[in-house]
Amino acid sequence: MDFNLTEEHQLIRQSVREFCDRYVCPIADEVDQEPRFPAETVKKLAEQDWLGIPYPVEYGGAGSDYLSYVIVVEELSRACATTGFTLECHSCLAEFPLFKFGTEEQKKKYLTPLCKGEMLGSFALTEPGAGTDAAAGTTTAVLDGNEWVLNGSKIFISNAPVAGVIIVFAMTDKSKGTKGISAFIVPAGTPGLEIGRHLNKMGIRGSLTAEVYLKDCRIPKENLLGGEGQGFKIAMMTLDGGRIGIAAQALGIAQAALDESIKYSKERVQFGKPIGTFQAIQWMIANMATEVQASRFLTYHAAWCYDQGLPYSSQAAMAKLFASETATRQTDRAIQVHGGIGYIKGTKVERLYRDAKITEIYEGTSEVMRMVIAGGLLR
Amino acid sequence: MAGIWVFAEDRDQTLELLGAARDIADKLSGKVAAFAGGGHPARDYIEYGADTVFQFPELAEGRPLESFVPVIADLARELSPDVFLIGATGRGKEIAARLATRLEAGLCSGCIGLKLDAKGKLMMDRLVYGGAGVQTVVCAGPPQMATVPPRTFEPAQPQPGRSGEIRELPAPPASPVQVIARTPRQKGTVDVTEAKIIVCVGRGLAKKEDVELARQLAEVLGGEIGCSRPIAEELQWLPEEVYLGISGKKVKPALYLGIGVSGQVQHITGIRDSKVIFAINRDENAPIFEAADYGIVGDLYTVVPVLIEELKKALKA
Amino acid sequence: MLNIVACFKWVVDDADIRVDTGSRKLNVDKAAYKISAYDRNAIEEAVILQEKHGGRVVAVTVAPPGAKPCLKDSLSRGPDSACFINDPCCADLEPSQTAQILARAISSKMDYDLIICGEGSGDIYAQQVGPALAERLGIPCLTWVNKLSCNVDERRIIAERKLEDGVEVVSAPLPVLVVVLPDINAPRIPSLKQVLGAAKKPVENVLLEDLGSIPGARLLTTDVVAATMDRRRIKFPADADGVREAVNALLREGVVS
Repeated sequence: MDFNLTEEHQLIRQSVREFCDRYVCPIADEVDQEPRFPAETVKKLAEQDWLGIPYPVEYGGAGSDYLSYVIVVEELSRACATTGFTLECHSCLAEFPLFKFGTEEQKKKYLTPLCKGEMLGSFALTEPGAGTDAAAGTTTAVLDGNEWVLNGSKIFISNAPVAGVIIVFAMTDKSKGTKGISAFIVPAGTPGLEIGRHLNKMGIRGSLTAEVYLKDCRIPKENLLGGEGQGFKIAMMTLDGGRIGIAAQALGIAQAALDESIKYSKERVQFGKPIGTFQAIQWMIANMATEVQASRFLTYHAAWCYDQGLPYSSQAAMAKLFASETATRQTDRAIQVHGGIGYIKGTKVERLYRDAKITEIYEGTSEVMRMVIAGGLLR
Repeated sequence: MAGIWVFAEDRDQTLELLGAARDIADKLSGKVAAFAGGGHPARDYIEYGADTVFQFPELAEGRPLESFVPVIADLARELSPDVFLIGATGRGKEIAARLATRLEAGLCSGCIGLKLDAKGKLMMDRLVYGGAGVQTVVCAGPPQMATVPPRTFEPAQPQPGRSGEIRELPAPPASPVQVIARTPRQKGTVDVTEAKIIVCVGRGLAKKEDVELARQLAEVLGGEIGCSRPIAEELQWLPEEVYLGISGKKVKPALYLGIGVSGQVQHITGIRDSKVIFAINRDENAPIFEAADYGIVGDLYTVVPVLIEELKKALKA
Repeated sequence: MLNIVACFKWVVDDADIRVDTGSRKLNVDKAAYKISAYDRNAIEEAVILQEKHGGRVVAVTVAPPGAKPCLKDSLSRGPDSACFINDPCCADLEPSQTAQILARAISSKMDYDLIICGEGSGDIYAQQVGPALAERLGIPCLTWVNKLSCNVDERRIIAERKLEDGVEVVSAPLPVLVVVLPDINAPRIPSLKQVLGAAKKPVENVLLEDLGSIPGARLLTTDVVAATMDRRRIKFPADADGVREAVNALLREGVVS
């Protein structure tokens, strides 16, 4: 068992860190506080070949492995969770279903420009009445001649306002339950596709999250992704891989919390000594470091399973569950280490605390993760 | 008879090297020789301690100063100096490295201090790791060579009526490098390296307009403005001529006053020889406080105006 | 078409250097290594010229065997191949030795039109290897260059040197060695494809013993200690009284009048 990262993986990590120092860190606070979407960074992510990392070169991807992708998400999130998540949502939620289920035509037309970074992608599954109960969606798709007509509304859809294409899930046959849901490729600008108001979030505030309305939105017949009735399966498989991405994001956030806490403990002097000499702080740092390490190995292992072609569903769930709960727990501890200054906007740990929480919720809540893990063991 | 040679691009540095060379020569019972550029009166350097002056001819148009390297090397092979100190300007560094190669000599770059050991060998100090460390070296000579940054040594004192010899050097051989043009640097009205008092600004300043606060303080003190690297290179609030640090200017004022300067080692390297270092920074853990004689931990926007008032009162009295 | 050699050094990351307060010794045991920042500019300039004029870039380094990770790092930044001159003793070389070894390797193993070096290494910063190497190879040397252009047909380099007294524009025929300043370019951040492509590029491993006997050191290091500043470190409170006391202290020092 070789726990060492290859030279390539180490160089990738180094290059993302340099990128973050140069482009991401200097604007991270304004991205969070204005808030604003870092569009200029997305362009640069494309130039670095990071917007299609695990997908084949023939479709514009970098042809690399999932572990490389995880390292990029981790390091970007360590600097700015908004940036890390924007890349993750694009790569895992929009590109994966096209890669796994798309026809050659669809891959050439949509996957390639996504991988090249010519446009961003989005994934619209969640509805006001269908969150964890994803099959309870009421958005419908009816075949009318050569077109599908979509009607319904989606909520909490990330990247939607800037996406060039959205993967939309809709009910094609209500009588078949989960086997009656299908996936559709909806290009931006399609008449009947409306992006609603931007939602004002607690964290990852630079990420654009909005409601999406479909009002007699007509798309060509060819825009059905996968077979009719395969939609639920597509969504679930996509979210499985997405979990590894979110675990990576949470890992990056937790690592940042640890880094900031170590730095502060060495510099902050109270009672004539750096606070890092007090056991209370030492134990907080020790707990933080141990949990971050554990998150790291669960996440990298899940990525490794994916790369080896082994089953990864349970491993991904464990990684996301643990890494996200570590992120919320340890960003809380990080603010405690910082004391009053940790509560002030502009101090990094204040932002990390707010960014961390969503990792326990989206792409499958921690409760769903537990269901998946238990299911794998007890069935 | 030990020969101690000095070469620098300008008179100021030549006088500083003559000061150091004279010290070494006296201890080793040796003689000092200095190089004088074309058109510079050789007598000048003799008065300041040189026993011999090697006079270059005027440098022809289109020739770089470095084309004299073969001439200097031939002379050194002929006369075998024991020590050769060269002023560490850009041209000086290139000339020194090329001479050291031709003469198979060891070269200490950026020598900030030297002393003779019991055997009469020079032990020289220089900075490494961005200024975090001091390396002591000994050169296998002869000659023992060093490049010396400006203002490392005190200049020699004149001794009118001193005698010495002058030797004219031949013109340099053809050099493949041609100088096409020279654009002199626009000198600002002030040279921060000459200032006795420097008020230095750092990243603690919130905006460009706040440099004015530092200017007011400098005015009361009769000093000049300097800055740390980010202020000149990234923010460009001040010209790079006044940035103090390992790759900027190195200064030796009587008083250095840093406001909102954190004191990274690369900056401290530029100011370490100041007589008194005073720092104002709101971060008690800023490294500058370790490098300072006096410090105030506080918000510069409140402290500096009070400081200006108190100085005005005290200086009027 | 230009054959370009870019020299680089694998150095300690200064941020990782620890000082042992007792002995004043510098501890680099836990330090990470990286390509010296100044050398990244040299590699970048070589790649920029190659992209403009065609040709090949070889990245060359003299290092101990443990520095092997430096090769993929350098190749991910654009060169076509690398040359790794290695031996355990290479960890302790002084500049004249490095220059001699590089000269032997370059003259025996490569065709070159242009050699590019950084202004100094990030660790020792002696700023000698560039000019010394040029001298060994018997080629002209242009130092402290922040602007470079090449007329390939005429086989001439035109460069702007940034010197204390101003800018000197110089020209020299190929082959030539150029020492570049950091402001000559902003090194690109390797893209993923460049990182993955590095493994496919050829590396020539050269054992030091194959280049002849190791040249003797002309510069001997007798000690390296942490730089210290013995300062008084007296602090005054930030209130009006404290400031007044501070002013008095400055008056007493005689630095203000």
